[in-house]
Amino acid sequence: MTREGPVKCVVWDIDNTLLTGTYLESGDQPPGADPALTAVLAELGERGILHALASKNPPEAAEHTARVTGWRFAAAECGWGSKSGALARIAAALGIAVDALAFVDDDPYERAEVGLALPGVLVLSPEDAAEAAGWPEFSPPVITPEARRRGEMYAERRRRQAAERSFGGTREEFLASAGTQVGIAAATAADVPRLEELAVRTRQFNSAAGLPGPAMSQDWFRGLLSAPDRDVVTVRLRDAFGDDGVVGGCVIARDAGTWTVPLLMMSCRAMGRGVIDALLAWLIRHAARAGARRLLIPCVANSRNVPLRLALAAAGFRAPGPAGPAPGPYERDLGPPLPALPRRVSAPGEPGGDAA
Amino acid sequence: MNPPGRADVASVTDDLRAFLASATGRDELLRIPPGTALFGTEVGLDSLTGTLLLREIQRRFGVDVAGEDLNLDSLATLGTLAAFVAQRARPEGHP
Repeated sequence: MTREGPVKCVVWDIDNTLLTGTYLESGDQPPGADPALTAVLAELGERGILHALASKNPPEAAEHTARVTGWRFAAAECGWGSKSGALARIAAALGIAVDALAFVDDDPYERAEVGLALPGVLVLSPEDAAEAAGWPEFSPPVITPEARRRGEMYAERRRRQAAERSFGGTREEFLASAGTQVGIAAATAADVPRLEELAVRTRQFNSAAGLPGPAMSQDWFRGLLSAPDRDVVTVRLRDAFGDDGVVGGCVIARDAGTWTVPLLMMSCRAMGRGVIDALLAWLIRHAARAGARRLLIPCVANSRNVPLRLALAAAGFRAPGPAGPAPGPYERDLGPPLPALPRRVSAPGEPGGDAA
Repeated sequence: MNPPGRADVASVTDDLRAFLASATGRDELLRIPPGTALFGTEVGLDSLTGTLLLREIQRRFGVDVAGEDLNLDSLATLGTLAAFVAQRARPEGHP
């Protein structure tokens, strides 16, 4: 098994798994919900874990399952293709890594197919799933307000994406029309649980993933908050469709002319909304204004963090070291001209922002 | 003539333009010259559209840009990316 880290979404089979029978073979009286697994849905949902459906059934089976379990599923794939294909599409639609999925199916052949095609997925029988709530993979160390609202935020995201598809202008114009606001601010003690959660959960946008270093626990963040030469920063995001709360953050180590960012992270839910670009542009401006000459972001280039590497490249960072899996660091010269910061961003030291 | 198994730069350039235009919903990207910066304001490639673009290149041409170019220097302009992809493209149907 190659999987690591917590499960973000459980993909459920319908027939003889979430339902107590087979949807298409039950005529006018489709089967009801399995009570034990319905309780697992609620228990895991409360922890911020998403649920999705993958079923060899017509789409009406997903609607029926949502009705009888009372659950709003983040995604549903109904059709007669392979379950591994359905899981890959669900991961793409939710913007999470396939390795962050678990899969529950009563059919051992389906479990084998997914296990073989997607070795990073945690594959479970319904009996396993009934007990899985106690497993570490399903037990995030902290449950933040952001986690509790996660299901709702994915629904907001679907409405936002539909609006963007019919919008027609550039992404920049869409972000403005949606009233997007990005708030960069110094972290406080109240932000520490959410910062730890982001440090544990983020993969595609986490500069420290795979690097040696201390465990990024709540104690680690609390220690940094009182360190004189360290800054901890949060990034909040909201627009007319909803408030995503704290979606990212970073740690800055100020050392004379060189500033290093040992951790830069963002929830993949905020991807495509100008957040990581805003954070990098602000870091560059902030460091340059403070008189730093170099800004370093240590980061291992791999296939998982391509989105972060794209954002670094777009912001003018380069990893001058030899090609290969050796850690960067990514580096950016701080000479003029400095990048612009869009008006929707408020940040320390910027017009409309908080004091540094 | 192209070397066997490699793609024509001009046709790769057209494919990339078509993908960028459809991914962003902006038809004007069908007409950008090869020297256009991808990360600049005109195309405005970000982590989302960039990831989609690289996934499409891998699917269509069998080229793992992010795996072969750790600094992503090939994404400087439309033309540099098309040349990078054309040089490494595998013949269609042989992934």
